[in-house]
Amino acid sequence: MSNQSLSNRRLSKRTLAAAILILVVIPVTILMGVFLWESRKYYFISLLIMLYTFIPFALVFEKRKPQARELVVIAVMTAITVAGRSAFFMLPQFKPVIAIVIISGVSLGAEAGFLVGAAAGFISNFFFGQGPWTPWQMFGFGIIGFLSGLLFQKGWLKRTKLSLCLFGGAATVLIYGGIMNTSSVLMITPTINKEILLAAYASGIGFDLVHAAATVCFLFILSRPMLEKLDRIKLKYGMIES
Amino acid sequence: MRRNAFTTFHPIVNFVYFTFVLVFSMAFMHPLFQAISLAGAIGYSILLNGRKAVKFNLLYMLPLLLVMAAFNPIFNHAGVTILFYLPNGNPFTRESILYGIAAACMYVTVIVWFSCFNKVITSDKLMYLFGKIMPAISLILAMTLRFVPRYRHQLSVISQAQRSIGRDLSQGNLIERARNGLRILSILTTWAMENAIETADSMKARGYGLPKRTSFSIYRFERRDQLTLSIMIGLVAIVLTGAALEENTIRYFPSVVMKEYSLFSFVVYGAYFIFCTLPVMFQIVEEVKWKYIVSKI
Repeated sequence: MSNQSLSNRRLSKRTLAAAILILVVIPVTILMGVFLWESRKYYFISLLIMLYTFIPFALVFEKRKPQARELVVIAVMTAITVAGRSAFFMLPQFKPVIAIVIISGVSLGAEAGFLVGAAAGFISNFFFGQGPWTPWQMFGFGIIGFLSGLLFQKGWLKRTKLSLCLFGGAATVLIYGGIMNTSSVLMITPTINKEILLAAYASGIGFDLVHAAATVCFLFILSRPMLEKLDRIKLKYGMIES
Repeated sequence: MRRNAFTTFHPIVNFVYFTFVLVFSMAFMHPLFQAISLAGAIGYSILLNGRKAVKFNLLYMLPLLLVMAAFNPIFNHAGVTILFYLPNGNPFTRESILYGIAAACMYVTVIVWFSCFNKVITSDKLMYLFGKIMPAISLILAMTLRFVPRYRHQLSVISQAQRSIGRDLSQGNLIERARNGLRILSILTTWAMENAIETADSMKARGYGLPKRTSFSIYRFERRDQLTLSIMIGLVAIVLTGAALEENTIRYFPSVVMKEYSLFSFVVYGAYFIFCTLPVMFQIVEEVKWKYIVSKI
């Protein structure tokens, strides 16, 4: 009984936090953007609103009271992603991060995919160096994990190598590349125009293509064995979601 | 090992400090404010990391600053003071050079502050701070941080076992080596997953998920934490008042406009200076105290 009431109180606290966020924090952000940040308006408003997208994920995930097994498997996938990123530290951009995040999203679901991506972005920067790019990377990796889970659930993404590789390559260039190039523009210039966006995309396209090639390669090699291993664990320990 | 004074404060004090100092460094483009923040960041990073920080700042941050400062005027043609025309016919303006320098300075300042953040806010402090609000997510973060070195160790265990049967990364021709490498990774992954389930069951057996959990490090919110936090909030309030009165805003385009200096603006500059050099000042005070105590022995 006491257990029950305790968890109820905690829930209401969280609801309160959500209410404060919606009623106070978001209007304050927009007001501050309009009145204070003369020249850095776009950067701050976009950064903060992007950070707010993390909050519903966190709230839903915490509210669900995930089991220990689920938590540990997510942590394992994140650790493998981080280890993969640091194992290829000598090859710039040639990293398996997005490939493993997509595999996690497909196998463990959209929410877990988002968490693996965002946590991997955050933790690998403990080894690579945090900076103003961290939230953008977290968002980029996370949203790819989320989309891969969602598209798989809808049946648009298949578990075949071809389908995964196509999605991985496209997501790397369009989603991750798009987010990171836009963020670098927002960080160094006060206003956005078509010319400077094109310049940033043009200077980033080489890196994005290498990154996409890496994602496709790693998905080609890793997708089948990794998915099999995850399936085996889910089957063996009865973790198939209802 | 030399203790750093600011790291011994309560995690909330550390976290609030870094949040404000990072937001201020990103928001204020006024040259004086940038110089103050950059000086505070570099000073603190050298205190924390010693010679490594000096090398990092000179080898990586200085070239980055120069490259980024040059990038803006090439692509940004706003501003009224045209210095000359680029070969493609676009104007090269003084305002965009100044903005480029300011933006590059901001970027470098934030990176240097983050290098201090990494050193001060350790993972157990993060757990302590977020364990109550987001228990599951902060547990994932803490476990991942532990798993990475653990997997590195297990990797060497596996590859030693494989070497004894002639299937290590260092044996065979190129294709065999690649195949051996992949096999070692596959073994590691399977082991990691099985091990994860064992960890989870063990956690459950020891009462994971019950209310009122405790954290590994116990921090007490002492009088000095109270005092420091109130000083910080006071300084932040002065700086924010200054920001509301546009003491620290600067307009770059179309022409550079700053507010005239007044008595109040110096108060704001002073408050910001004290705020940015707070960790360095704590360290100096501690050193003086220490010297004083030693001299009395």
